[in-house]
Amino acid sequence: MKKTILIITLLIAQFTFSQDFKFGKVSKAELEETQHALEPEASAAVLYRSQDVSFMYEQGKGFIQYNEIHERIKIYNKDGYDYATKTIRLYDEGNDTKDKLTSFKAYTYNLNNGKVEDTKLKNNGIFEEKTNRYWKQTKFTMPNIKDGCIIEYRYTIESQLLAVDDIPFQKLIPINKLDFKIASPEYFKYKALLNPKAAYLPKLNQSVVQSSFTVSESNRTSPKDYQTNANTKTTFTKDKIEYKSDVLISNLTNIPALKDEVLVDNLSNYQAKLIMELRSVVYPNQPVKSYSSTWGDVTKSIYKSENFGGQLDKSNYFEKDLDAVLSELTSPEEKIAAIYGFVKSKVKSNGLIGYYADLGVSKAYKEGAGNVADINLMLVAMLRYAGLEANPVLVSTRSNGIPIIATKSGFNYVIAVVEFPTGKMLLDASSAYATANILPENILNWQGRVLREDDTSSWVSLMPQQNAKQLNFLNATINEDLTINGKVREQLTNHFALVHREAHNSESEEEHIRAIEEGKGDIEVSNVTVKAENELAKPILISYEYNLQNGIEEIADKLYFSSILFFAPEENPFKQETREHPIDFTYPISEKYVVNIRIPEGYQVESLPENEKMQFNINDGVFTYLINHKDNLLQITTNLDINKTIILPKDYLEFKRFFDLVIKKQTEQIVLKKR
Amino acid sequence: MISRQFLLIFFLFLSVFSIHAQDESLLTSSTISLTLKMNANAVVRSEHIHIEIEDFDKMVYTNKRIVTILNEEGDNNLGAYQHYDKNTNIKKLEARIYNSQGEEIKKFREKDFEDVSAVSGGTLYSDNRVKYLNYTAINYPYTMVFDVEVVYQSTAFLHSWRPVEGFYVSTESAEYKITNVSEGKVRIQTLNFEDYNIKKQSDYHFIAKNLKAVKRESYSPSFKTYTPYLKATLTDFNMEGVRGINNNWQDFGKWMHDELISGTEALPQAVKEEIKEKTALATTNREKAKMVYQYMQNKTRYISVQVGIGGWKPMLAEEVDRLGYGDCKALTNYTKALLAEVGVESYYTVVYGDNDIIDMDKDFSSLQGNHVILSIPEDEDYLWLECTSQTSPFAYTANFTDDRDVLVVTPEGGKIVHTKVYSAEENTTETNAKVQLDATGDITAQVEIVSKGTRYAKHYYIENELEKDQKLHYKEYFNTINNLEINAITFNNNKEDIVFTENLAVSATKYASKVGERILLRPNIFNEEEYVPPRYKKRNLPFQIKRGRVNKNTFEITIPKTLQVEALQDAVTITNKFGEYHFSITQKEDNALLFQREFKLKKGTYSKEEYKEFRNFLLKVTKHDKSKIVLKTNN
Repeated sequence: MKKTILIITLLIAQFTFSQDFKFGKVSKAELEETQHALEPEASAAVLYRSQDVSFMYEQGKGFIQYNEIHERIKIYNKDGYDYATKTIRLYDEGNDTKDKLTSFKAYTYNLNNGKVEDTKLKNNGIFEEKTNRYWKQTKFTMPNIKDGCIIEYRYTIESQLLAVDDIPFQKLIPINKLDFKIASPEYFKYKALLNPKAAYLPKLNQSVVQSSFTVSESNRTSPKDYQTNANTKTTFTKDKIEYKSDVLISNLTNIPALKDEVLVDNLSNYQAKLIMELRSVVYPNQPVKSYSSTWGDVTKSIYKSENFGGQLDKSNYFEKDLDAVLSELTSPEEKIAAIYGFVKSKVKSNGLIGYYADLGVSKAYKEGAGNVADINLMLVAMLRYAGLEANPVLVSTRSNGIPIIATKSGFNYVIAVVEFPTGKMLLDASSAYATANILPENILNWQGRVLREDDTSSWVSLMPQQNAKQLNFLNATINEDLTINGKVREQLTNHFALVHREAHNSESEEEHIRAIEEGKGDIEVSNVTVKAENELAKPILISYEYNLQNGIEEIADKLYFSSILFFAPEENPFKQETREHPIDFTYPISEKYVVNIRIPEGYQVESLPENEKMQFNINDGVFTYLINHKDNLLQITTNLDINKTIILPKDYLEFKRFFDLVIKKQTEQIVLKKR
Repeated sequence: MISRQFLLIFFLFLSVFSIHAQDESLLTSSTISLTLKMNANAVVRSEHIHIEIEDFDKMVYTNKRIVTILNEEGDNNLGAYQHYDKNTNIKKLEARIYNSQGEEIKKFREKDFEDVSAVSGGTLYSDNRVKYLNYTAINYPYTMVFDVEVVYQSTAFLHSWRPVEGFYVSTESAEYKITNVSEGKVRIQTLNFEDYNIKKQSDYHFIAKNLKAVKRESYSPSFKTYTPYLKATLTDFNMEGVRGINNNWQDFGKWMHDELISGTEALPQAVKEEIKEKTALATTNREKAKMVYQYMQNKTRYISVQVGIGGWKPMLAEEVDRLGYGDCKALTNYTKALLAEVGVESYYTVVYGDNDIIDMDKDFSSLQGNHVILSIPEDEDYLWLECTSQTSPFAYTANFTDDRDVLVVTPEGGKIVHTKVYSAEENTTETNAKVQLDATGDITAQVEIVSKGTRYAKHYYIENELEKDQKLHYKEYFNTINNLEINAITFNNNKEDIVFTENLAVSATKYASKVGERILLRPNIFNEEEYVPPRYKKRNLPFQIKRGRVNKNTFEITIPKTLQVEALQDAVTITNKFGEYHFSITQKEDNALLFQREFKLKKGTYSKEEYKEFRNFLLKVTKHDKSKIVLKTNN
């Protein structure tokens, strides 16, 4: 039954695709095509891609991984010319582990007077460049690129490493046909997983086939009399070794282009791809070498490493110094604060991230600098030394994407957590302005994995629970010449404080004034004071005086101005009509304005905006506007809370509408008239 | 307690191993004077650049640099790097880091420096590499001592000297010295030395002391036009095995022509015939040139590959033809070869390509410029061709190589010529709209945007974007209209006259806002907003308006019968040295309003004292641009 279906599918495939995808068999019809049949906006398209990953035994070296890639790309117009230049990254460290690029061949095809004309890529268009200690790259650009041309290349990467790179099933341009195959010897157990967040899900077929390789051995036997070598004998033995291969095959057609978009956290989170994680190596008659298979295994294997768990066991290097720091402290909160501050002051980040210690904790402690792991593993060790239940948390940065499969490369960062019966405290001592549970933005990426001393591990949410708050008090007095004088007090907490400290703490006063004045119109700001700039546990308090020249518009004896003056936003940042991918705000926010306006002598209120409350998805977004008028005083209070950080495409339009209304309301005009 | 004796020994020890005794105080950060710390992220404590020219093909460059980095922003000013290629031999490269008390905390040898390709991003490949120090600071301030010694076989390029290195860097002491024992002569030129404390020790030896840091300010002219700058060049030099003479632009240009360009221009026979055939019907040189330019644009694309005589020799025209790509030199030279084939003379032309106006120094011939274009003599003037663009109209150079001195390389030699100036009157954006307002404040409109001159380049690229991106673009462009919907877009790209026209059908809900009984309408609906630069308490630098332009808006607004005009703004006219502004709204009929706005900015260089006046002008413009009219419901 299965067989017949397969045959039928094959037949259909034969009928639908009469094109020849053998290398070099580019047809006139392909070259004549002027736009993509399904996605006419595409500047280029992959007509065919095949990828074949296999392992071959080589005597003296073991299994070599062969990654064969063949691509035929149609370029429709000049925007697609970028696809004529390609970079292949190759691992280049150590003699035994260097990647090799072989069987390279590339041609450009054009239609010239109705004939297919090919141009070969010669050596002068291929460039090799050493990028750093570990990597080199081969770059090439195709000759004779014109609108409508087709390029085709194929190459094989030979690698002695068992790690398989992610297999892309989707690109920024459409793929018409894709054939993929991987055959891995039974000795290597890979776990294959498709990106579940991708909108396009390819189909994979699994099977097992029989393979074999031969090993030959030579034995030299010499007689005892070594002065004559006439009797030396060499015997050869050949062993044929049979083994099974696990095969994964995917034959796909018409893969839509991955759509890029503004405000996307990391586009590759949504790309259709296959991730192959090596779980274990099982050679016959040898113990199983296990790499990872579940998140628990992954974390355990990380923990076991000297560069991770090993760092947590060391305490000699800091004991004396830390005893002094802790000498008079009793409560856990005090101890945490003191240790956190101590690590930050003692060791600065050298800009490198990673979850394995770079220098090692004691060296980093001595030198005063280290990578993220050096610093935060040291933090965990110190917290534990102080008797607190502290553990490391593996994290993936936003640019590393959301960890999908249990792999070591799913993580690239480590922080610390202290767990209490009542809650938890996440700490990152490698970021200068981070505080407890207020982590730097680049690691606010879904969840991290806590590794405990008893070998258990579990997920912990990294997403901030508290809203970042911004409170603005604004006083305004309208002068006779219709300029406005007043004072502003701003209070920033949590992530708003973190972001402010990162952006402005190193600024001079003059630069800070300019930053405040920016976008506020004809304003002069003076007497700026900033409090708690460096007292990280406290909110930042900023206050300043201002003189605003153009805050009021006078038309026919009436005065018009928006109720929150220069804080009124001018435009809706959400301009797209539809969304492909979610929008991620990273942290919930709460913005409040309290504005007191004194009405000038001789004027009275003509009209005021009405009180209003607006909601998005019940409580995901809430905006309130309140206005009070008493004697010659107006008080306006606005409150905007965005409690949900991820806006799904299906909710986007409603969210955009909500934001529109908020902006309308905040810009609504107050009208005064002459008495 | 440390004994006195120990201390003594310790210090003896120190003085033996320390660098020059006078440098010692430079290693501590506390010895920097307050004036040098002002506005500075880094302070160059001392720098000794020494160039010894031993022969036309051998030169030794040494530099010992001590710099104190005051904060994170200053990390970029370490200046611990050395470029190299196959003709450069780095003899010594090391750096030491000292903490603020002057104690050594780290040492880097040559192998500890990062070694990377000297270009990235735009360039596919270059054989130029750079070794640089990648140091992450633990604490600020800290001080670095950098020592470098390099032997060059190429002497075409001598290190220039900028004692004020850049914004936010001050200099305590810097020395520059050339020793020349070769047969050729060294020529030097100094610019803007007068206003700075720089002493001439001898013809080729200068010492600068206590130069204050310069702050970046909006609209300021190109940095090297107002800071000290020394250029040096050798009259008899070697460039990767090619010997050359450089006494003036005339003979330097001649050398370029003879050694770099000559012999690269041969084309395949088929191409020669093809281009002749294509231009057979053209009667004037201009027509021919235009056809050749188009031919080149269709056939090639820009790919930067920097190899061959220090990146100065163009790839063979034949190669360009076969590969269909090249960098600026290759594509320019290819176009030149094609033009020669059809009997049109043209010249390889070296420029500084930049949005900023940067001249080739007409008074001092040396290796300058970063880009190459083609010039074609026409009457008394020239046509300038940008050969790296596949989409640019013929002879269009706005915003990148316009209005500047360039080096035209002719077979007879080099000469400095000024490129086309795009005047304010040429650089226009006209926005015309017919707008329908309804009683709820919604608008629908037909908008036409016509751009010319420098403004053409700011608009025409939109044509090639995806439709969803075009829509987003207009929403950003008219960012003061919320809820803007783009219902239809059409373009007309008139490359012949270099005019780009955009036609849009748009609508926006609640554009005019209800305020009680009234409706407020901002009549300047489709406006490209003017940027108001920041306020400076005390401006230090002159400022420059690089290119003039005119923006004109004309909108016919129809209001519904149910509304009537309550108040209109008075017309406004402002005229001053920076430009002009006109604003008027008039009622043509009961329900027809005409809005007109014109803003003109003139090109010019102005003193720092005039900055405030300029900013006030822009503030007034934006204020009027935003002003509203009041409509009332008919009773």
